[in-house]
Amino acid sequence: MSNPIIVGISGGVDSSVTAMTLKKQGYNVECVFMKNWEGEDETCTSEQDYKDALAVCNHLNLPLRSVNFSKEYWNNVFQYFIDEYAKGRTPNPDVLCNREVKFKAFLDFALELGANKIATGHFARIVESDGLFQLLKGVDGDKDQSYFLYLLGQDALSKSMFPLGGIDKKNVRKLAESSGLINHAKKDSTGVCFIGEQKFFKKFLKKYIPTQPGNIHTIDGNPCGEHDGLMFYTMGQRKGLGIGGGHGDKEAPWFVADKDLENNILIVAQGHDHPALFHQKLEADQIHWISGSPPHALENISAKIRYRQMDQSCKITTLSTDRCTVKFDKPQFAIAPGQSIVFYKGDDCLGGAIIDNRN
Amino acid sequence: MPYFDHSATTPIHPQVLETMNSISEIHFGNPSSIHASGRKSRSIIESARRTIAEAIQASHNEIIFTGSGTEANNIVLWSLAHLEKKHVITSAIEHPAILKVLETIAPLGVTFTALSVDEFGQVNPEDLKNSIQSDTGLISIMMVNNEVGTINPMNALIKIAQSKGIPFHSDTVQALGKTPLSVQDLNADYLSFSGHKFYGPKGVGFLYKKNGALLNPLIIGGGQESHFRAGTENVPGIAGLSEAVRLAVENISKRISHLENLEFLFKEKISIACPNIIFNGHPEHHVPGVISVSFPGHRSDILLAKLDREGIEVSSGSACGSGSVKPSLILQAMGILEEQNLSTLRISFGRSNSFDEVTSLVSTLSNITHV
Repeated sequence: MSNPIIVGISGGVDSSVTAMTLKKQGYNVECVFMKNWEGEDETCTSEQDYKDALAVCNHLNLPLRSVNFSKEYWNNVFQYFIDEYAKGRTPNPDVLCNREVKFKAFLDFALELGANKIATGHFARIVESDGLFQLLKGVDGDKDQSYFLYLLGQDALSKSMFPLGGIDKKNVRKLAESSGLINHAKKDSTGVCFIGEQKFFKKFLKKYIPTQPGNIHTIDGNPCGEHDGLMFYTMGQRKGLGIGGGHGDKEAPWFVADKDLENNILIVAQGHDHPALFHQKLEADQIHWISGSPPHALENISAKIRYRQMDQSCKITTLSTDRCTVKFDKPQFAIAPGQSIVFYKGDDCLGGAIIDNRN
Repeated sequence: MPYFDHSATTPIHPQVLETMNSISEIHFGNPSSIHASGRKSRSIIESARRTIAEAIQASHNEIIFTGSGTEANNIVLWSLAHLEKKHVITSAIEHPAILKVLETIAPLGVTFTALSVDEFGQVNPEDLKNSIQSDTGLISIMMVNNEVGTINPMNALIKIAQSKGIPFHSDTVQALGKTPLSVQDLNADYLSFSGHKFYGPKGVGFLYKKNGALLNPLIIGGGQESHFRAGTENVPGIAGLSEAVRLAVENISKRISHLENLEFLFKEKISIACPNIIFNGHPEHHVPGVISVSFPGHRSDILLAKLDREGIEVSSGSACGSGSVKPSLILQAMGILEEQNLSTLRISFGRSNSFDEVTSLVSTLSNITHV
């Protein structure tokens, strides 16, 4: 038997169709289910997910293994997530999870099992030319997940396959249904995987970070309410401020414009188009280039400052190997420190960095 | 497919299967019915009860049929809620069917002390003596550990309980058929058994309750099992269970010596093939054929996957609901460090395993650990 391709299977429809597709293409496929979070709280669905993965693997007659990366996840992803929130920033744990868990711990595990490559159900493409591996957007523009994969390097890309990168999501579901996969209609996971639905978010964070309520000021410095703790808010947030301007209110709604960490003050601005909510420049650090080095031309580049944002034209100026400034052609709404900015040239995902501040 | 995971469960014995099939086919009556079909089912159950009682030297009215060994444990522990003395002494290496239950019934006022074990997995009787409180109402200590096979010093432990007048329960699901077991010799108040651990059916077990020992039912209904366990009896399951008990006890010396031989062969060969392995558990006081062995430098989940590819089935420490390997709490309690813990396999032989199978297990283990 040839060396296997090991598919990271989650119990969801995308990774299931990934395994099925590779099997149909004649690969020797084995599946591995990753458990990255310990806990029996209502938000963690891993037991049901495992059962779904097992049902799919039995249906496809593929072996299923399990592996526990909860320690790696806790140390290398969750700790960072909590530290960032404690600093009032808005981290993105999924990009780190990909770098530290799926394309490191899991990849190592698969290689130890004798695999040539791993495969996942991400909507993105890998193209090799002249020994260089490029990460391209998935052809389904609405589902493209390259944003979450920008921290991958040449080594990981050379050992990975994304069989869904060339397919539309709706065709993935169709394939699943026509092949009798039990999870063809299973809801896509949303939000942060270990918190679950958004409504649990506050309760969850409170378990790990002490809360420090304080005042809300308008952009002009007028007190206008109280907040539960700066970490619960993110730039551009409208809901849950408790200061009017809600639906049906004649007054324009309020948005989070800034955080004064030193004085524990949340700063809000009224109206979606308020200039305080827009910035044209940002500074980012922890730069990562997928090719291993910066592109030759730093102009005619576009960027996303959040998942599923339309590409925004910008110009990068590197300040050091680790730090850069980005100037957008147009001012950007609610740039959130802690989030990732991901750079593109057309479909080619070049890399990215973590937003540090904006001005 | 070579199966070396008999501590997890055993394949059903052909004679047990035959008994169950023939009863399932013909005798469907409800044992509580007074017509002929019901009377026949009743007689099957009562004769099963007598067979089991005889096999472990109990009296027939000391046997209560349950849905599992876990359920037998639960009846005994939940029963505490009705008692005045609500402190339990148990051990740190019990099955979750003891430890999780005790955590769950804490709101009912039940408190517990989990005795630590030594490096071999044994409870020290002195520790038991020192942990007894004025409100200790039950001592529950397993006879044979499921992961390492270590046998606890039952006589010493039970003697202490008796001298203090405290009822003693033991989870004995891993013991029957692998070590001689007589309720007369043990003199415990409650013992839990599970059919599928000794070539009987799944979904049926029994509780031995010494005559005179207090017990309150957990499942209430139509008053079956002398009101201790309501629910229409699993007639074929109970018949299969009794046949499995009978076979286990009748053939015990043959089974033990077969397991000892397999264990000896395995240990001898694997020690040559993989000289840096470590055996866990008590070198002397353990049931035959249950081997906990660590392969330093190798992850047990990788070893399991590679063995699975070759069609060889063993297990590792403890698997959770999603099938992934976590450090075994039992090995942890024995003072084994995490790295060794996560490199440990449990190999448990059974009556159908052959010397050839053991030899091929060793050569496969040797191949996958020398890459």
